Amino acid sequence: MNEPPVLEIRDLHVTFTAHGREIPAVRGVDLTIERGQTLALLGESGSGKSVTAKAVMGLLDQPGARVRCERARLGGRDLLAMSEDQLRALRGSEMTLVFQDALSALNPVLSIGDQIGELYRVHRGLSRRQARARSIEMLDLVGIPAAARRVDDYPHQFSGGMRQRILVAMAVALEPDLIIADEPTTALDVTVQAQILELIDRLRRDLGTAVLLITHDLGVAAEVSDRVAVMYAGRIVERGEVEAIYDLPAHPYTEALLAAIPDLDTPASELRAIPGAPPSPAETPPGCSFAPRCERASEVCVTTRPALTPLRTGAGRHTACHHSEEMLDGALA
Amino acid sequence: MAPSPDVREPEAREPVLRAVDLHKTYRGGLLSRGGGVRAVAGVDLELYAGETLGIVGESGCGKSTLARMLVGLERPDQGEVTFRGRPFFTRGGVPRDIRRRVQMVFQDPLTSLNPRMTVHDIVAEPLRVHRLAQGSRAMRDRVGELLTLVGLSPDRMNRFPHEFSGGQRQRIGIARALATEPDVIVCDEPVSALDMSVQAQVVNLFAELQRTLGVALVFIAHDLAVVRHVSHRVGVMYLGRVAETGPAAGVYGAPAHPYTMALLSAAPVPKPRLKGRSRIMLAGDPPSPVAPPPGCRFHTRCWKATERCAEVEPVLEPGPDGGDHHAACHYAERAS
Repeated sequence: MNEPPVLEIRDLHVTFTAHGREIPAVRGVDLTIERGQTLALLGESGSGKSVTAKAVMGLLDQPGARVRCERARLGGRDLLAMSEDQLRALRGSEMTLVFQDALSALNPVLSIGDQIGELYRVHRGLSRRQARARSIEMLDLVGIPAAARRVDDYPHQFSGGMRQRILVAMAVALEPDLIIADEPTTALDVTVQAQILELIDRLRRDLGTAVLLITHDLGVAAEVSDRVAVMYAGRIVERGEVEAIYDLPAHPYTEALLAAIPDLDTPASELRAIPGAPPSPAETPPGCSFAPRCERASEVCVTTRPALTPLRTGAGRHTACHHSEEMLDGALA
Repeated sequence: MAPSPDVREPEAREPVLRAVDLHKTYRGGLLSRGGGVRAVAGVDLELYAGETLGIVGESGCGKSTLARMLVGLERPDQGEVTFRGRPFFTRGGVPRDIRRRVQMVFQDPLTSLNPRMTVHDIVAEPLRVHRLAQGSRAMRDRVGELLTLVGLSPDRMNRFPHEFSGGQRQRIGIARALATEPDVIVCDEPVSALDMSVQAQVVNLFAELQRTLGVALVFIAHDLAVVRHVSHRVGVMYLGRVAETGPAAGVYGAPAHPYTMALLSAAPVPKPRLKGRSRIMLAGDPPSPVAPPPGCRFHTRCWKATERCAEVEPVLEPGPDGGDHHAACHYAERAS
């Protein structure tokens, strides 16, 4: 029996209109995540990774934003054919979002128990008393000490790490098929970050949830993901299994990123910096978006945009670069 | 940045910057009960010419308060900062010539640059304040020189900060700090607000400036790998105190304090093959600096803690490999 992937997105485009100008933030992104898998969407600010997450959740319903997509399926169900009410029922129960900033994601005037309980009351129709009991269970599950006592506390009474745990509790409360975590640990300290990543990973293993992890941190992506998709200027430029990509990057951008971060164990004499800055989404160059900063760029890169194509190595490895095969040949030679 | 081989002879040279027993407590307003926030509680450090001292720690450990005291933006409640043996905090404030010699680079280049001033005016301001350039012609030339030094084109000096990218803005902040030809630059999280691909450019720039100008740096950051990369010596802070200090290779290679071990173990590494390695997981969050725990400040999260740790506060003592490597832990030897 062939189980459909938890999430399947084909050719997602998001365009914002501001001051009469069109700004294409996401320009043709495909995503597929299987059950129990973690896909890290890796990119710098402005690469379109967070916009992709919001578009998948259907949270870009605002004037000035246009979302276009050829195919969007969640566990085999067609999201594009659904009504707004049906989508609303899915959000929070079948697919959930963990935000970066827990303090602004939680309602400051409702107790934690009320906020987690709301999920059970709205989506499952439980009574207040039942919802409260389930909330305590969830707080326990994500490791909040004395859950039964703290369930009536308000967000400001918790520390940053605890608040992030509460967000994770809300995201997994209804055992969704998909959790989208948008920079879930960026605001946290290293020791607390390790706890939260461990928690998300444990819940993924125990509940078989698929996770889409949005991050800018190469370390974080390496720690928890099975597969990685690297975004640059609104497009995925490389994707594949995490080990393969980190061992032998086949896109110059991925290669340059890995060389630009310092290594704890072997401090190099000089970091290999990438010249220039990422392009603004409003004015991306024609041809390959990375060409102006790329040391391998040739004439064809400036004129023709490389498509995301499978590599000879197989294993679902795709890159969008005219020089990928020669990069791999060079590395193996 | 290649921390160049340690050329310093500790006895022979005077430190450029020395802090002795610094304390700083922020008192709350009317509504706050109990004491204030004890941001820094007894920190000593020495910075020698031409070296980089890295300070790492989590949020709330007092590293930014320490930075502000080291440049004289904040007056310590107790203790003293001296520049080449001369005290910072006199009755008339920080002497102007000391201010000139000790400069600062801030974390967020967008909020630390005045949006209504041109780049020329931003970089020229310290020149004007310290009367370092006579006449507008000389001023322009000097600003152009400084911008070139940090890798910006001088013909963009009449533009405003918002016309530059994040990495370029940070370069403007560095040019402003360099304007007075300082001996010391204190950098508070200078690369954390930058994109990954741009961080390396700025880190390399600091290295180059140190090589060519011989300026001493205090480099404060929460990113362990970046600090390791830039520093000759490192101090690890926890709740307002230094937990461990020593040469970068020693602190990272053979950490003596359990907190340093936990920090290093928790840092995510970009090596998928190391996934699932055994790590030290600390429970909970760092305690609040309003009421730091008695005894060793780390004992509430430490897996080696005993009764003694809850009662007696450990002081910095030479670690297992001796020399310059110090740790404030009763069980530092066992810790290695």
